[in-house]
Amino acid sequence: MALLELENVSASYGSIEALCNIDLHVEAGEIVTLIGANGAGKTTTLMTTSGILRAKSGRIRFDGKDLIGVPAHEVVGLGLAHSPEGRRIFSRMTVLENLELGAFGRSDKEGIQKDINRVFELFPILGERRHQAGGTLSGGEQQMLALGRAMASRPKLLLLDEPSLGLAPLFVHRIFEVIRELNREGVTVLLVEQNARMALKLAHRGYVLETGRITLTDTGENLLKNERVQSAYLGE
Amino acid sequence: MENAPAIRNEGGRGSRVRLAWVALALLVIYPFFPFLDLAVELVTGESLRLDRQIVSIAIFAVLALALNLQVGYAGLLQLGIAAFFAIGAYTTGILTVAKYPFQLELWGALAAAPFVAGFAGLALGAPTLRLRGDYLAIVTLGFAEVVRVLLINLEGITDGPRGLNPIPEPWLPAWLRSAVDVSADAQRVRFLAVYFLAVGSVVALYITFRTLERSKLGRSFVALREDELASACMGVNPTRTKLIAFAAGAAIAGYAGALYACNLTTTAEPNTYDFNYSVMVLCCIIIGGLGSVRGAILGAAVLLGFDNVLSPLVTKLLQRATTSDSSNVLYSFSNWRWLIFGTALVLIMRFRPKGLWPSERVAADLREDES
Repeated sequence: MALLELENVSASYGSIEALCNIDLHVEAGEIVTLIGANGAGKTTTLMTTSGILRAKSGRIRFDGKDLIGVPAHEVVGLGLAHSPEGRRIFSRMTVLENLELGAFGRSDKEGIQKDINRVFELFPILGERRHQAGGTLSGGEQQMLALGRAMASRPKLLLLDEPSLGLAPLFVHRIFEVIRELNREGVTVLLVEQNARMALKLAHRGYVLETGRITLTDTGENLLKNERVQSAYLGE
Repeated sequence: MENAPAIRNEGGRGSRVRLAWVALALLVIYPFFPFLDLAVELVTGESLRLDRQIVSIAIFAVLALALNLQVGYAGLLQLGIAAFFAIGAYTTGILTVAKYPFQLELWGALAAAPFVAGFAGLALGAPTLRLRGDYLAIVTLGFAEVVRVLLINLEGITDGPRGLNPIPEPWLPAWLRSAVDVSADAQRVRFLAVYFLAVGSVVALYITFRTLERSKLGRSFVALREDELASACMGVNPTRTKLIAFAAGAAIAGYAGALYACNLTTTAEPNTYDFNYSVMVLCCIIIGGLGSVRGAILGAAVLLGFDNVLSPLVTKLLQRATTSDSSNVLYSFSNWRWLIFGTALVLIMRFRPKGLWPSERVAADLREDES
């Protein structure tokens, strides 16, 4: 059974329909990516999954549990961490405090310490700046912190919304490397990306979203070769 | 990298702790040795009675700390703190005065007042805390007016403008009484009890809030104020956390109200708890620095110190200097208070927007702005 399964999910902002009968699934151990133009519904899909936005209809199952109606703050405890678009780190808190907040729902002190140390291992710059206010970090460092903060809840599934947005290529590479490494350690990832080429290279499978509907799905490799994808999203 | 601005305190901490101990020691001996009063009397010939003002300042500081929990920590713009203050005062009145059958010992009323006020906070907060900032401000403002008008008009229960009184003096063990009561009268013993109760409450709340800031709950307040969506993603329950802050703040305000009634021996008239009073408390935490515990206490000291100590003193001196026309309102310094408050607030907003004594977190933010 899939780790995450969306079945016929629709969602809307007021009267504006944002998602229309979405079907998608993520198997344990996969990296799955959602690509699409601005406003296609990628962020909405993640927000609906993590409970920030309420689905209008459909079923969402995660790890055998029904997620419809479960509020966002409880979803984290089930093992689903959502790193929202735009980083949204707590700028007045230190790097360490941000990471500790990521582990808000956990009570195993040693485990938390271990996971935070792991974040510092993956992103040494965060370790060096652990007592610095989050707002003083550069954009790339903030993105690393946002990723680390999501990891601190030790999730089974990580929802990442545009982790490469506005970053220098060097940072983008580092972030993608870490995502691959986390995945090798057993974390399942659902990734929303503007940078379709990098995302498809990284992902096992991908979905193409157009105006709230899934129009295409295949392995990452095949999507990279797909003519429609190439002309619409890869600029070839 | 090592030189990067850090939030942790770098140096100066030891001296600050020592300063706090000295201030506390001075407060403890003050009612027995009012050196400032003596000095002022020597120079100006006017008596100051500062120990009485310290009680008012301490009670006001408790109220400011309550509002700081709601506005400063949790970011809930509350404009009706006076309502919870009044609820605490009237709970104390109803539980202790002869008019009612309860006639509880004052200590019992002091314990009950925060519960009643906290419950009122829960009842008001539960349906309204989902409202965004400005709407919550309107609701709380309206609530405070409703409470005030009820207190005026429910004469059968509240004794209307006369207020409930007299509120009895607190029970003290006989040995303590005799220890203090060497030469002093009963009035003095009562005053000392209230004095140490008020000052002790501020110290206890100070320690509680400083501990809270480092706790999980304290962190979730800060996180919530910064970014509600991100906090929810971390597992912070926004509604519950806000409700805790609101109800706890209301409870502490109720406790301050009980102290107030106990100090005055009456609940005072309902119009004491008007909108101006709520705004005064808000001013005091803004002047001190939103979200700063020490700032709230400093703000209370500055505002009430000006209002109750400096302004009457200057008025007296002014009147003595201009004996020719003492009835002229312009010569009464107290009449200038709102002008001076307003000017001070504008100046602080302009030149020190984070307050006189902001918390370390905000102060770090300030340094970052400057760099």
